[in-house]
Amino acid sequence: MNELRIALQSLKMSVKTRMQYRADSLVAALAVFIRESANIIVIYLALLKFDSINGWNVNEMLFLFSLLFLTYALVVSLFADLRDFSRMIREGRFDWLLVRPRGLLFQLILNNADIIASVGHGTLGILLFLISAGKVGIRWDFATILYYVGAIVGGVLLQGGMFIFFSSLSFYFVETNSLREIFYWNMRKFAGYPISIYHKLIQGLIIYVVPFAFVNYFPAQYLLRKPDMAGFNEAYIYIAPFVGGIVYLAAYLFWRISVKRYYSTGN
Amino acid sequence: MEFAIKKFQDKMTYRLDFFMGIVNTAITILVYLCIYKALYGNAGEVDGISYSMVATHFVITLGLSNAFHYNEMFLQDKIRDGSITNEFLKPVSFTLRLFAENAGEGAFKIIFHFLPALLITLLYTKLCPPVSILGLPVMFCSVALGYLILWLISFIIQTWSFWLFSVWGIITIKNVFVSILSGSLLPLWFMPEPLQKILSFTPFESIYFTPVRIYLGELSGRELLFALAVQVLWIALLGVIASVFWKKGVKKLVVQGG
Amino acid sequence: MENIIEIQGVKKYYKIAKREKGMLETLANLFNRKYETKKAVDDISFSIKPGEIVGFIGPNGAGKSTTVKILSGILYPDSGTVQIDGFIPYKQRKQYVKHIGVVFGQKSQLNWDLPLIESFELMKFIYRIPQKEYEENLKLFIDLLDMEDFINQPVRQLSLGQRMRGDIVASLLHSPQIVFLDEPTIGLDVVAKERIREFVRYMNKTKHTTIIFTTHDMQDIEKVCDRLIMIDKGKKVYDGSIHEIKSKYANFKTLELLLEDGSKELKTFDISVTPMSAVMEQLFSEKNIKDITICESEIDDIIRDIYEGRIVLDRPETERN
Repeated sequence: MNELRIALQSLKMSVKTRMQYRADSLVAALAVFIRESANIIVIYLALLKFDSINGWNVNEMLFLFSLLFLTYALVVSLFADLRDFSRMIREGRFDWLLVRPRGLLFQLILNNADIIASVGHGTLGILLFLISAGKVGIRWDFATILYYVGAIVGGVLLQGGMFIFFSSLSFYFVETNSLREIFYWNMRKFAGYPISIYHKLIQGLIIYVVPFAFVNYFPAQYLLRKPDMAGFNEAYIYIAPFVGGIVYLAAYLFWRISVKRYYSTGN
Repeated sequence: MEFAIKKFQDKMTYRLDFFMGIVNTAITILVYLCIYKALYGNAGEVDGISYSMVATHFVITLGLSNAFHYNEMFLQDKIRDGSITNEFLKPVSFTLRLFAENAGEGAFKIIFHFLPALLITLLYTKLCPPVSILGLPVMFCSVALGYLILWLISFIIQTWSFWLFSVWGIITIKNVFVSILSGSLLPLWFMPEPLQKILSFTPFESIYFTPVRIYLGELSGRELLFALAVQVLWIALLGVIASVFWKKGVKKLVVQGG
Repeated sequence: MENIIEIQGVKKYYKIAKREKGMLETLANLFNRKYETKKAVDDISFSIKPGEIVGFIGPNGAGKSTTVKILSGILYPDSGTVQIDGFIPYKQRKQYVKHIGVVFGQKSQLNWDLPLIESFELMKFIYRIPQKEYEENLKLFIDLLDMEDFINQPVRQLSLGQRMRGDIVASLLHSPQIVFLDEPTIGLDVVAKERIREFVRYMNKTKHTTIIFTTHDMQDIEKVCDRLIMIDKGKKVYDGSIHEIKSKYANFKTLELLLEDGSKELKTFDISVTPMSAVMEQLFSEKNIKDITICESEIDDIIRDIYEGRIVLDRPETERN
């Protein structure tokens, strides 16, 4: 219960901070929303001319995108401090966490929420879901809803796990943002679209190395069953909700080992 | 010019940025080429436009749009911390200096981010060669004009920081508009007809689309001259607007002391 | 009484990568890095009894901060043992830090955009402070530090002194038995410094809190601490009472000489070895002196003289048990 209280107090602080610059926060959230909409508008306009992309129509594409935005909205409200972790180390703020009687990841996850990004991505994700969910032929019954929720949780854990992994690297290297840029953000660019359109090599990267495919493509395939799934192992769509947990666990173990370096070197 | 060179040298020191820039550009190109390939499917041509034309269009525009990205918060930061007043004491015009620096950065990005990314792209895809060697210089002129249009739009919005608390949001929104409406992500050929009509009356068409069409040989003779004239016209118009905003802003700063 | 803090032969060396300029060198550096070893803490031992206030001084880079980090469990020592209140800080972090409070004067733990009270509330939950204890402590601290006026203002609008008071409260709300104050008076004016000193004394007297206080300001030490530990270049150079150091070096007099050519010179003498008359005689015979001022040795001067090598200490009575 005490943990929940910390979470609520932290959230209250994040929101209150933002409310101090109300107009600016609103414009910023809107800007994030519009920035992220760009790719969607483009694919929408493109599909007005061309009917489908590898068999995926407009609504199915929007549904695929919505998973990416919804999970990311939750990721930045939980893992914002881990996203900006290298800066935290540089500014010496990590020391504060070490002198408090709580787990380090626990504090990092609860401490800070990027409300702006969360609202921007979240609104877009919900909007895309509402537009598409009724038109893509999914029967929303208990089983599909359960799967969907599981997929969202898995997607959040998967991306959170990646943030933890990249944060752990900050204990070894000064500069980790570029690595993250390459392996997180660029892979996310790929992941917006049906991965069947890419070369096998890129597919491999997205399935096995930076497994974004399990955040949106395979979960969407479970619900939509598009013909391009034939190119992949059917099992992936069933394990998709669990991959996040595994990635998170692996990242957690790596973090446990890496954080020891901080104790011996400081910053 | 010295400012442009200085900025260019500054950039050289960030080797990591350099590497990242290539990778990011190459990957964005790859993603979109895959999308276009999938969109085309088995169709050879759509509306008389072939896949390789689209690919060429996309690679060129993306290269240019990368080069045209620079720190648009510069003026706001200068105004906020008050260092803008020091700039007025320097003998070189602040706006000219800003332009030279941005252009220097752009040149850097074209040479060190775009060209390597282009080489990587050429490894796996075929692009259209330029229609004629003679067309190239004309195209470069048109690119420069397009850059100036984009720079002026950006500068106009930057001058709003004399009045607004933060222009970050507006700049972000502007960039989305530019990247969609200028056709840097989806070529204007494929836009819905009515939208294409509207866009022909805006400066967006003159930014990337005109130079690329020159490169592909879609414009010649009269059409070509007309397109270039439209570019120049937009520059004149935007230039006037920009100088009005700039003068008013500076006046406000001087009168109220920031 | 049992020692509450027991430090034995603690060492902490850092490896610092040498940076070289130029592209080629940096590239070569990627594969074959050269390191320098910096001895931040080099074999330090001391012990502190419950309820002591110990001043920790030393010039910049002497190893004060590293020592405080080791004491608060942020860093492992390379060798040596640390035992505080029955804990080994770096091994039992979560249990241990419940019993300590840490203030880093150079960096704040407060939320910049919100009133102090919000950060305090968060501390209440993080340290599981019972509501009653929290309210009592908060009321006491607000009274003692005179914080009523600004408790509801966003931290970014506070003066440095006000912010520092807020930071101190945030670190003490959970009634720690041991408190590390790392330069809590840095950059403050005289009034603000005095208020913090008073507060620290009060906490020590009434709550018997053990306090380690690092500072550059000798006034802090003189007014607050009973005992002084001085470190330089990672080594302990003095450990004893303030009174002791004063009486021991009271015989050192510093003379400021104004020479005929207008230049000034400082000379330090031990008058228990050379009587004043002999000193004067010698000086006047060597130099063209216009005027002489005798500076009473304040503790600051003594310390400065020690660092600058004008006073050579007998090597410290390290094992003081």
